[in-house]
Amino acid sequence: MGAKRKKFIKNSIVHVILAVLAAIWVFPILWVVLTSFRAEKGSYVSTFFPKAFTLDNYIRLFTDTTILNFPKMFMNTLIIAIFSCIIAAFYTLAVSYCLSRLRFKMRKPYMNVAMILGLFPGFMSMIAVYFILKAVGLTEGNLIRVALILCYSGGAGLGFQIAKGFLDTIPTAIDEAALLDGCTRWQIFSKITMPLSKPIIIYTVLTAFMSPWLDFIFARVICRANADQYTIAIGLWRMLEKEYIDSWYTSFAAGAVLVSIPIAILFLCMQKYYVDGVSGAVKG
Amino acid sequence: MKKKVLMLLAAGLCAAFLSGCASGDDTENIRLMVWSPSEDQSKDSGEWLQTNCEAFAKEHPEWNITFVYGVADEASAANQVAQDAEASADVFMFANDTLTTMTDANALVKFGGKYREEIESSNSQALLDSLMKDGELYGVPFTTNTWFMYYDKSVFSEEDIKNLDTMLEKGVVSFPFTNSWYLPAFYLGNGCTLFGDGTDESAGVDFGGEKAVEVTKYLILLVQNPNFKIDADGSGLAGLRDGSINAMFSGSWDVNAVKEALGDNMGVASLPTFTLNGEEKQMLAYAGSKAIGVNTNSKNMVAAVELAVYLGSAQAQRSHYELRSTIPCNTELLQEETFQNDPLVTAQNDTFDNTSILQPFVSAMNNCWTPVENMEKGIRNGSVTMENAEEQTQAMNEAMNSTGI
Repeated sequence: MGAKRKKFIKNSIVHVILAVLAAIWVFPILWVVLTSFRAEKGSYVSTFFPKAFTLDNYIRLFTDTTILNFPKMFMNTLIIAIFSCIIAAFYTLAVSYCLSRLRFKMRKPYMNVAMILGLFPGFMSMIAVYFILKAVGLTEGNLIRVALILCYSGGAGLGFQIAKGFLDTIPTAIDEAALLDGCTRWQIFSKITMPLSKPIIIYTVLTAFMSPWLDFIFARVICRANADQYTIAIGLWRMLEKEYIDSWYTSFAAGAVLVSIPIAILFLCMQKYYVDGVSGAVKG
Repeated sequence: MKKKVLMLLAAGLCAAFLSGCASGDDTENIRLMVWSPSEDQSKDSGEWLQTNCEAFAKEHPEWNITFVYGVADEASAANQVAQDAEASADVFMFANDTLTTMTDANALVKFGGKYREEIESSNSQALLDSLMKDGELYGVPFTTNTWFMYYDKSVFSEEDIKNLDTMLEKGVVSFPFTNSWYLPAFYLGNGCTLFGDGTDESAGVDFGGEKAVEVTKYLILLVQNPNFKIDADGSGLAGLRDGSINAMFSGSWDVNAVKEALGDNMGVASLPTFTLNGEEKQMLAYAGSKAIGVNTNSKNMVAAVELAVYLGSAQAQRSHYELRSTIPCNTELLQEETFQNDPLVTAQNDTFDNTSILQPFVSAMNNCWTPVENMEKGIRNGSVTMENAEEQTQAMNEAMNSTGI
C-alpha cells in the first residue's frame, strides 16, 4: 500500500511538471494561432486573448497581392521545396548506400571530409555560391528557382550519416543472395534495399523538404530584387519591416500558420515511420 | 567546298551587318533596370514608377527603352548593390545613411555638370549636404526622412506641444525610448555632438561630460513619470487606438494608422523642447533623405542619369505625393498651397529644417547604436540610477568612441 501510494505521488509530481512544461512549450504556438485570428490591428496588444475574431487576415493574404504576393510566394516555395526534396533525398540515399555497401579507396577519406565540411555552416559560402550561380547565368528570372533548387539539394550528399547508419543494419547476406541471383548493384538498391528502408526514406524526405521550405538566408541572397521569385520566408520577413508591420502583423501570423500546415501534414502522415527512422533498426 | 562555306559565311556576316545598321535608324535600343519599393509599383497605389518611367520614355524618342523593374526598398537597396553592383539596377532608390556602403563599393555615380546644377537649384542646402561626400553629389533627393510627433488635439493645445514636460502634465506621452534612432534626440538637445558637424570622423563622439550626465539623469526621472510610456513593438500605436496614449513619436510611414486612430483629432508637429534644470532645450532628431542613385556599372549612363533626375523632378514628386503621400522636398513645389496646407508635410519639413541634425553617415557612426541602446535599456531596467549616472554615461561615451566590439 505504502509503495503504491509513493508511486502515485511520484507520478503526480512528474505529470504536473510535464504538464507545465508542455503548456510553456505550446504557449508561443497558441499565441501565433490566436494572433492570426485577431481582429484588432497593429503589432501590440495588451490582452493575450483577442477581443474579436476574424478570418480577414487569411483572406487578405490571398487577395491583397499587389504589395506582397503571398500566393505566388507560396507556390514558388512549394515548387522549390518539392524538387529539392526529390533530388536531395535521392542523393542522400544513394550516397549512404554506396558508403554502407561498397568498398572503395576514397571511402574513409570521403567520410572524414564530409564530417569536417559538415561542421561549417552552409551560409558561410553564400556570397561565393551567389557569384558562381551568376557566372552560370542562373540569377535572373525563373532560373532563380533552378538556382535555389541547386543550392538546397547540392549539399545533400554530405548529410548521409543517419541514413548510412540505418542501411548498415540491413544484413549484407540479403545483398549477397541477390548478387548470386544475378542482380546488378542498381537493382539491389532499387528492388531490395529501398523497400526495406521505408522509415529512413521518410525521414530523409521530411528533412529534405523542410530545409528549403524554411530557408531564409540563401533565398535572400539569390533572389535580391526579383520580387516575383520571393519565397515565403522572405515574404514573412518583409511583413515585419517598419512600413508594413502595423497593417500586416496579423496577416504575418496567419502566414506563419499556413507555412506550418504542409509540414504538419507531412509529419502526421509519416510520424510512425519517422520514429523508426531515427531509432534506426530493421527487424528480422 | 571550303570556298563555298567561306562565301556563305561572308554573306551571312554582311547580312548581319546590314540588318544591324538598318534597325538603328535613329533610335537606340536600351535596357534600363530600375529598383524601387514595391508600393511604388503596385496597382493599388497607382504604379508610380511605371507611369513615370513611361512618361520619361515618351520625352526621349531618341531611345527605345525597355524597363526592367525590381523590388528593393530604400533601406536595403544599398546592401544589394554593394553585394553585386554589376548585376544591380541602373537606377535605384536609397536612404542617405547607406551612402558610404555604396561609395565604398564604387557603385554610385557622381552627379556633375548640368545635372548637378539642376538638382542644386531645386533643393535646400541641408538636403544636398545629406547626399554629399567629399564635395561630390551622389543622388537626386526625392524626400526627407526623419521622425516627428503625432498628438491628440483634444488633449493638447498648440501651446502645450511646445514643451514635453508640459505635455506630460496634461496627458500620456509615448516615446520609442529603447530605439537608438530616437533617444539621442535628448543628448543632442543639450549640446552633445557626433563627429564635429557630422562629417568629421576624426572629431569623434562627444556624448560625455556634465551635459550628457544631466540628460541621463533627466531620462531616469522621465521613465519614472507615470504619464510617460515607453513605445516598443507597436505599443504606442495600440495606445493611440484605445486612447490610453495621447502622443507618440514616429515618422510618415505611420500616418495612415494614426489618422485611423485619431480621426480629426490628429495633430502633427515637429519636436517639442524639454526642460532641463529650468532651461528649455530643443530635442533634435536624426534626419536624412531618400534619393535616387545611378549605378556606376550602368551601360547606358546618359539615359540612367537622365531618368534619375526625372524621377526626382518636381512633377514626379507631385505624383509621388498624390499616389503614395510621399512628402516632397523640391523647394519650388513646397511653396504651393497644397503642400503648405498639409500638416504632415509641414511637420516633417519643420523637423528637418529646425529640430534635427543630419544623421552622420561616416562609417564610425556604426559603432554608436549599440552603446546608446545599452544605456536605454539600463535606464528602463533601473540599472542606471542617479548614483551611477555619471560613470554609466562616461562608459557609453567611451563605447561610442571605440571601434565597436
